[in-house]
Amino acid sequence: MIRVFLRGLAAHFRAGRTLLILSVLGVALGVASVLSVQILNGSALGAFEGGLRAVSGEADLTILGKVPTVPDAWVREAMSERGVAAAWPVVRTPVKLEGPGGVFLDLAGVDVLAPVWFPWDVPPGEVAAALGAPGWAAVSEKLARERGWAVGDVFDVSSGSRRVRLRVGLLVDFRKVSPLAGDRLVVLDIAQAQDALGLEGAVHQVDVKLSPGASRAEVGERLARRLGPAAQVLTPEQRRSQAAGLLSAFRLNLTALSLISLLVGAFLVHTTTQAALVRRRAELGLLRSLGTTRRQVLAILVAEVALLGVLGTLLGIPIGYWAAAANVEAVSATLSNLYLLEGIGSLGLEPWVLALAVAVGLGGAVAGALLPALELSRRDTRALLAPFSLHERVGKAAPRLAVAGCAILAGTGVWYAGLGRGWRPAGFVVALSLLIALPAMTPWLLRTLCGRLRARGFGLAYGVKALGVKLGTTSFAVAALGIAVAMLVGITVMVGSFRRTLEVWIDATIRADVYVTTESWRRARETAVLDPAVVSALLRLPGVRSADRLRRTRAFSGERRIALVGRDVGMPGGEGRFVLIEGDRADAIRRVAAGEAAMIGEPLARKAGLGVGDRLPLTAPGGNFEIPIAGVYLDYAEEHGSAVLDLSALESRFGLAGLTNVDLYLEPGASPERIMDSIRGRFPDAPLELLSNRRLREEILEIFDQTFAVTRLLQGMALLIAVAGITLTLLVLARERVSELALYRALGASRRRILRVFLGEGVGMAGLGILLGVPGGVALAMILIRLVNRAYFGWTIVPSWPVAALARQAAVLLAAAAAASLYPAIRASRTPATELRRDDL
Amino acid sequence: MTTCDRIPPRRGSRARRATWIALGLVAGAAAGAGGFRIAVPDYAWSFPRDHWAHEGYRTEWWYFTGHLDSKEPGARSLGFQFTIFRIGILPARPPFRSEWATSGVAMGHAAVSDLDRGEHRFSETVRREVPLLASFGLHPDPEIARVQGPAGTDGAWTLRWNGDGFDLEARDDAERFRMSLSTRAERPVVLQGPNGLSRKGDAPGAASQYYSVTRLATRGTVVLDGREIPVAGESWMDREFGSSELSEEQVGWDWFALRLDDGRDLMLYALRDRGGEAGVRNGSLVRPGGEVRLLEASDWSVRPLSTWTSGVTGATYPAKWRIEIPSEGLALVVVPDFSEQENVARTPRAPFYWEGSVSVLDGAGGRAGRGYVELTGYGERNRPPV
Repeated sequence: MIRVFLRGLAAHFRAGRTLLILSVLGVALGVASVLSVQILNGSALGAFEGGLRAVSGEADLTILGKVPTVPDAWVREAMSERGVAAAWPVVRTPVKLEGPGGVFLDLAGVDVLAPVWFPWDVPPGEVAAALGAPGWAAVSEKLARERGWAVGDVFDVSSGSRRVRLRVGLLVDFRKVSPLAGDRLVVLDIAQAQDALGLEGAVHQVDVKLSPGASRAEVGERLARRLGPAAQVLTPEQRRSQAAGLLSAFRLNLTALSLISLLVGAFLVHTTTQAALVRRRAELGLLRSLGTTRRQVLAILVAEVALLGVLGTLLGIPIGYWAAAANVEAVSATLSNLYLLEGIGSLGLEPWVLALAVAVGLGGAVAGALLPALELSRRDTRALLAPFSLHERVGKAAPRLAVAGCAILAGTGVWYAGLGRGWRPAGFVVALSLLIALPAMTPWLLRTLCGRLRARGFGLAYGVKALGVKLGTTSFAVAALGIAVAMLVGITVMVGSFRRTLEVWIDATIRADVYVTTESWRRARETAVLDPAVVSALLRLPGVRSADRLRRTRAFSGERRIALVGRDVGMPGGEGRFVLIEGDRADAIRRVAAGEAAMIGEPLARKAGLGVGDRLPLTAPGGNFEIPIAGVYLDYAEEHGSAVLDLSALESRFGLAGLTNVDLYLEPGASPERIMDSIRGRFPDAPLELLSNRRLREEILEIFDQTFAVTRLLQGMALLIAVAGITLTLLVLARERVSELALYRALGASRRRILRVFLGEGVGMAGLGILLGVPGGVALAMILIRLVNRAYFGWTIVPSWPVAALARQAAVLLAAAAAASLYPAIRASRTPATELRRDDL
Repeated sequence: MTTCDRIPPRRGSRARRATWIALGLVAGAAAGAGGFRIAVPDYAWSFPRDHWAHEGYRTEWWYFTGHLDSKEPGARSLGFQFTIFRIGILPARPPFRSEWATSGVAMGHAAVSDLDRGEHRFSETVRREVPLLASFGLHPDPEIARVQGPAGTDGAWTLRWNGDGFDLEARDDAERFRMSLSTRAERPVVLQGPNGLSRKGDAPGAASQYYSVTRLATRGTVVLDGREIPVAGESWMDREFGSSELSEEQVGWDWFALRLDDGRDLMLYALRDRGGEAGVRNGSLVRPGGEVRLLEASDWSVRPLSTWTSGVTGATYPAKWRIEIPSEGLALVVVPDFSEQENVARTPRAPFYWEGSVSVLDGAGGRAGRGYVELTGYGERNRPPV
C-alpha cells in the first residue's frame, strides 16, 4: 500500500507540477500570514519585556507613579517596608542621539552602588568613574559596534532642550542578560542620569526585591498603602499585562487581519485539495475497482494532503519570518510613535509560534481536504469513474447554503442588538459572521447570476456563464476572492474615512503658525522639557502675536492612564483649537481657563462613560481629586484618552515645571519660515524641533499612513492568495473538462476561442468576487467604523467613500485575474480534439 | 596590580555578587583614584571635633564593642558591637545636580551576643552616602552619622555625640533586635601609635590615624525578640581614618581589646600575611590613671591555643590565646565566651569575620577581665577589603 502511495505520489507530482507549486504556495502563504503577524505581535511585547529585564533585573515588584515621576524618598520608603530585601531607583527615558539618522537611545539611570540586583554589574575599576566621571555610560556592545564607538569615545544626546555629552565607559552585552533587550540601552549612574535629564529629586520607578519567603501580594499591598494613592505597585506579570493592555487594540487588529488571511488561505488549500482529487477521480475509481478499500483510498488522500501541508509549512515559515522582518520597521515605528514603547530591536520566534504555524499549515491542509476526501472515498466505484456529479451536489445544496448564510447574519444581528452590544469584541463577532455568511451565499448567487447571463457566442460571456455550472469548483474560488475583496474594500473604506475625518479635524485644530518642541519629545514626551529661558525668548520674538504654551504629560484617571495636557486654554483667538462634540465651547473654555473644570477627549468620554456635568477623577502627587467636565472634544491623537486643564491648574495640582511644546501664532503677514530661521539663529545649539503648520499637518498624516502600513501587507497577502485561487481553479476546470474542451475542439472551436472562454471564466470569477465583495466590504467597513473602532478606540469616524481608490483596486484585481487566467487558458486551449472519448459522445 | 586582582573571584548568583560591590569593590574601586588624604605623623588632633567624620580619607570607622548586664530577674548578660564605616570612592562629592551624587558609601554593622544562651545576632546595612540614605554630620551638629537601616527595617542607625560620650541606635526587624545605648567616657582619648599614627605596613601612607576611648560607661535598652531589656555596662570605642589598604601580602588581622579587672586596658593587633606570619604588630597598654604605654612588637606575644571551625562559612578561626607581656608581668589566657560569634551578613558571600565577646583569665584560671576580639581574613576567599 505504501509503495502504491509513494509511486503514485511521485508520478502525480511530476504530472501536475503547476498544481503542486500552487498548492504548496497556497498553504505557505496562509502559514506565512499568520506567522508574520504572531511574530510581530510577540516581538512587540518582547521588546518591552527585554528592556524591562535588562534594567530591572530580577525585581519582584516595581513601584511606578500614577504621576509621571515619583520622589527620591520613595526609595527609602520602599526599603523600609517589612519583607523588602532591597529597593533601588530607576530613571528611564528615551533620548535622541545627536547626529544624522534620528536614532533614539533608551537611557536608564540606576544606582550602581545599590546592593546590586541588576543582572549585570559594573566592574570594580569602573565604579569610581561611573559615579564621578561626567557622562560615564554603559553602552550595549552592539550599539557601539554599529556606531563605531570604543571605550572613551563621546557622543551627544538630547532630552528636551538640553544636550548632554556622554562618554562610553563600559561595553555591556545586554542581550546576554535578556535576549530581547533593546540594543539602544545606555545605562548611567542615577546621579548622572538625574543631572543629565534635569530630573533632580525625581525617579521614574523604584524596583524592589523581596526577602525570601515574603509574599509579593502582601508586601505589594503594604507598599501601596504606605506610598498613598499616587503609587502603583506592580509585579513583572502585571507590568507585562499593562503593556499588553496598552497594545491590545493594536495587537487585536493585527490578529484579526491575519485570521482573515488564514480564512482565505484555508479556501485556497481546500480548492487545491479538490483540484488534486478531481484529477485523480478516475484513478481512484480504478484503484477501488481493483480492490482497494475505502479506508485505504482515504489514507492515500489524507497522506498526500498532509505532505502538501508539510511542504507548505516548511516554505511558509521562512516567508512569514521574512514578512515580519520586512515590516518590523513599520510596526516598531507605530509602537514608539503611538504607544511610546520601545521599538522592536529584534524579532523573536517563540516555540509556540512555530507550533502554531505547523498546526495552521498541516491542520489547515488536512482539515480542508478531509470532507472532499471522505466524500470521494465513500463514492462507489462507478460514480468515481463518471464525471460531473460533484457539481450537481453543490448545485442542489446552493439554496440551502444561502438560507443558512442569511440565518447566520440575521442571528448575529439579533444577538448584537440584544446581548452583544455591551461586549467589547462583539464587533469582531459580527464581522466574522459576515465573513462566514458571504461564502455560504456564494454558490446560490453564482448560479443565479450566471444563469441569467445570456451568452451570444462561444467566447468571454460563455465562459462566465459556465461558472454557474461548475459550482463545486468555482464557488470556492469566488468565495475566497469575495472575502479578500470584502476585506480590501472594508479596510480601504475604513482607512479612507478615518483619514478624511482626520484631515477635517486637523484643519480645525492645527491653527498655529509655528510649532516648537524638542527632538526628543516625540518619544520621551513629558521628560522632554523646554528650558524656561528658551520659552521666554520665544514669547518675545518679534512677529509673534500670541503663544499657546503646553505641558503634555501622563496621568491616571482612576485605573485608566490618560494623556493630560496643560495649556493656555483662554488664549485670545484660540477657541478654534477645540472642536467640541459635547458642551458649549465658549462656556467650557471660560471655566477651564479659570481652573474650575477640565475638558476631555472623545475616547476617554466613550471608554469611561463620562460627559459634561460629570466629574473627572485624577491622581496628583498630593492624592486623588475630581474636577468637573465642561466639554468633550474630538481627539484623534490619544487612543487611551486625554484631558485638558489650564496650564496654571496643571502646575498647581501636579507641581510640574517645564513646558513640552509652544505653539506660536504670528502677526498677520509674518513669515513662519523667517521666524523659524530666527529661532534657529538664536538657539543654534538647542535641539529644538520647529514645524510649520503645513509640515505638522503632513507629519500627522504620515504617521497615520505608517500606522496602517501593516494593514496593507495583509491585504496584499489575502489578495495574492485569492488570485492564486483563480489560477488554481481554472487549472482544475481545464483538467475536469478535458473531454468537454476536446468536444469543442472537435466541433471546430479555435484555440483562440477556448482561450477566450477561459479568460472569460477567470475575469468572470474576479468580477463576481468583486460583485460579492463590494457589498460585503461596505458592510465590513461600517462594522469596523461603528462597532470595532468605537469599542476599542472611541473615535468618531465620518464614513466617506474613496470611490476612485476602490475603482482602481477593482481594475487592478481584474487585470490580475486576467493575468492569472492566462496560463490555465493557454493550457486549456491546447487540449487536442483527440482527448475526446467514446463516453463523451 | 589592578584592583580587580584583589577581588575574590565572583561566583554564584547575582545576589551573591552584590554585596561585594557595596563592600569590598567600592573600596577597591577607589584604589586608582588619587586625591585622598593619607595618615600623617604630625596630625593635629582636636577633640571632640575629631569624633566627627573626616572627608577626604578613603576609609573611616567608629567601632564600639562592650558588655551589658541587666539587673532584672532572669535577665541576661550581653555582648554588643556597633560599627559605622564610611568608605570613600571619590575624594569629593561630584557636582551633579542630583541628591544621589555621592563620594562613597556608609555601612553599619551591629551584633548582639546573648552570653547566657550562646546566641549571636548580626545585622548589616550598606547605603549610598546620600542625604536620603546616609549622612555624616559636621561638628558641632550632635549627629555624627546616620545610616538607613537594613532593608525591611523602618528607620535609621545613628551615632550621636551627647557631650560626654556617644549615643548609639541600631535596629534590625528581620533579626528581631534593637539597641539604643548611651555612653559616657570614663577615660580620656588614647592615641594609638606615636601621635595616633598606626602603621599597617612599610609603604608610605600605609597607616591610619587611630585613637580609642577604652572605657565608656554604657546604659540603655536592648530589645530582643520583642522583649525590652534595660541594660548597663561598659564599652570600648576604636576610631580610625586613613586611606591605606592591606598590602598585597596581608590577608587579615587579629585584634584584641581587653579591659582588665585591675583597671588596665590592653589593645593588640597583628596583621597576618599569606604565610600566616604576623608582619605588623602593635599595641598599647593604658594604666588606671590614664597613662599610655605603646607596645613594640618585641614587648608581647600572642599564641593561639585551639581553633574553631564555623559550620556556616567553613572558616577555621583561632579560638583561645595565651597573651604574654613579660615587662608588664602579664600572662593571660583569652577565651571566647562562646564560639558562634561569627558575623555573616544576610547577603551571601559578603566578607565574614569573627567578632566576639571574650573572657580574660589569669595564669591561675581566675577571671582577670573582659574584652572583644576581632579576627578577619580567615576562610576561603575572605580577604577584607580595607
